[in-house]
Amino acid sequence: MAPITTENAALRVSPYHDGGAPQTGAELIAANPYRPWPARITSIQQLTEHEKLFEFRFIDENIRNAFHHAPGQFVELSIFGVGEAPISISSSPSKSGFIELCVRRAGEFTQRLHEMQCGDIVGIRGPYGRPFPFELMKGHDVLLVAGGLGIAPLRSLINNIHDERSEFGKVTIIYGSRSPQEVMFRDQFEMWRHRKDFDLYLTVDHPDDTWDGEVGLVTKPFQHLQVDADRTFGAVCGPPVMYKFVVQEMRNKGISYDRIYMSFERHMKCGMGKCGHCQIGHQYCCIDGPVFNYWEAKNIQGSM
Amino acid sequence: MLYRVIDDQELPALVEAFMEDYEVIAPVRSGASYAFHHVDSFDQIELDYTTTITSLKKYVLPPKETLFTFDADANEVTDFSLTVRPRVIFGAHACDINALNSLDLVFEDSRYRDPYYEARREGLLIVGISCSPTETCFCHLMEADEARTGYDLFLQDIGGRYLVSIGSVTGANVLESACNPREATDEDRIAFRQATRKRQDSFNKDIPDVQEIAMLMDAFHSDPFWDELGSRCLACTACSSVCPTCYCFDIADVLDADGRTGRRERVWDACTSPQFAMVTGGHNFRDSNRNRVRHRMYHKLNGFLATHDRMLCTGCGRCVRACKAHISPIEVLKFFEEKGA
Repeated sequence: MAPITTENAALRVSPYHDGGAPQTGAELIAANPYRPWPARITSIQQLTEHEKLFEFRFIDENIRNAFHHAPGQFVELSIFGVGEAPISISSSPSKSGFIELCVRRAGEFTQRLHEMQCGDIVGIRGPYGRPFPFELMKGHDVLLVAGGLGIAPLRSLINNIHDERSEFGKVTIIYGSRSPQEVMFRDQFEMWRHRKDFDLYLTVDHPDDTWDGEVGLVTKPFQHLQVDADRTFGAVCGPPVMYKFVVQEMRNKGISYDRIYMSFERHMKCGMGKCGHCQIGHQYCCIDGPVFNYWEAKNIQGSM
Repeated sequence: MLYRVIDDQELPALVEAFMEDYEVIAPVRSGASYAFHHVDSFDQIELDYTTTITSLKKYVLPPKETLFTFDADANEVTDFSLTVRPRVIFGAHACDINALNSLDLVFEDSRYRDPYYEARREGLLIVGISCSPTETCFCHLMEADEARTGYDLFLQDIGGRYLVSIGSVTGANVLESACNPREATDEDRIAFRQATRKRQDSFNKDIPDVQEIAMLMDAFHSDPFWDELGSRCLACTACSSVCPTCYCFDIADVLDADGRTGRRERVWDACTSPQFAMVTGGHNFRDSNRNRVRHRMYHKLNGFLATHDRMLCTGCGRCVRACKAHISPIEVLKFFEEKGA
């Protein structure tokens, strides 16, 4: 039997354009959802000993213009030869043309990223995931609680709220860290507190001589809070152990099940609801989340 | 659905007609069991087979496949194209056709269509064949004992002849070119009903029929039963390898010898593998065999149902035979049955 082969044109993965008719960025992205697009590192900011804030710009103008994210979404970041990692977006959607990713040096992939310099090229595909309900939150008070690196996805929401500050009522940020050295974006948050844009409570587990904020768990500032439960949305992100305690404090303040939103961490390998790594009960963290409200989370086995 | 009848002497001509344009994959003898394999002639095919050791999923989701190639120095994707070989699966059982239909729901999800899967699926024809249940078959309990869609032809053995359901234009064309299909008579229809009833009556009665499985999976989520099942699991992942519907995969980069160029691959992975749900930093969201075995069963018997309105288990029984620790959905069904006794 002679071998039969058919070349499938839909599966051509060429470096840039195929040389045919011009394609829009959206069409290019849709042609192969597994294909990362080259992006250049345009800024690196050392935030703490282990965390850096990277700014990326897509090299292809069509891709750059087609990329739109919402607060709470993530991208798959590629370093070819090392692999791919899901990273939540830390910048506001209202600033277009670039995205910021806050990355902790914790494994081989992030180690390699931390060694990269401005001008280096990575691959990015996305954005993925269900974001925070930004439009729904408008006209309401917002209570944001972050623990450690959980500030990374919440910062996208915080910055977006700040961009449209007049659309929101009282906005309160509670942000817990292990030590004063690990507090990220402190200057920015302190400035906004100073300008009375936000109420800000910073807490640390292990204070030093300079620390003038709270000491203790991220739940501690709740004792000072006056919450108008009927007009408040909660947004939570932090280490796995943190959620049930913070959510309980929010429930104690009377915030409804379906107005407490949480962003979950899982290992989203494909980002498209297929590979299975990020499954929580019957849901996929990558397409059904990563943002879930408390009511949804209560109905997912193994979510919290 | 269009039905016609052909005689069993016409099958070789049908297979030969497919061979003109397609690679033919069919059940063949493999040691004491059967396997889907490339065949060059009708004589190699064992149409009266029980269940093959592994399933058909490898033809739409290979154990390892290249997604694209790259240049690691330039950090760019390089040109890559996939060649798909048109194939026909000749002699798929209903459970395996239903398994492919379930995979379609995942990989052809309109939100993110998977171009690799789609290309392979598009190049795949399916000719189904009726079967008799073995001791480990429970497809009837998973509503997978009948294939309603997902085939080009389906051959129902009605004694010396086949009642053929024609599912596609391609199927009709090949059938008409190779055979002399005739209209079904009342005698054929009665023979079909009798053959179906005989099959329905011959399932292993020791496998309990539990109607409310999904609800029970939630209700008994914390039962010590899962500790016991987990303590037995060897985490060998044989269950998901042989499973026709387990589709989880890993994505990894492989560098060529020059250390500069390479390829991004996806390879089969399994949720019963210990590091499957681990995130960077070391936290493992399913950190015990108990949690992993339970999650796998939960996804099969509840989770997939919640999102796609069908079980992700077809009752093919492959895992029943593959598991050295006697863990299978049948054990779960028996546990629920005993709870109600």
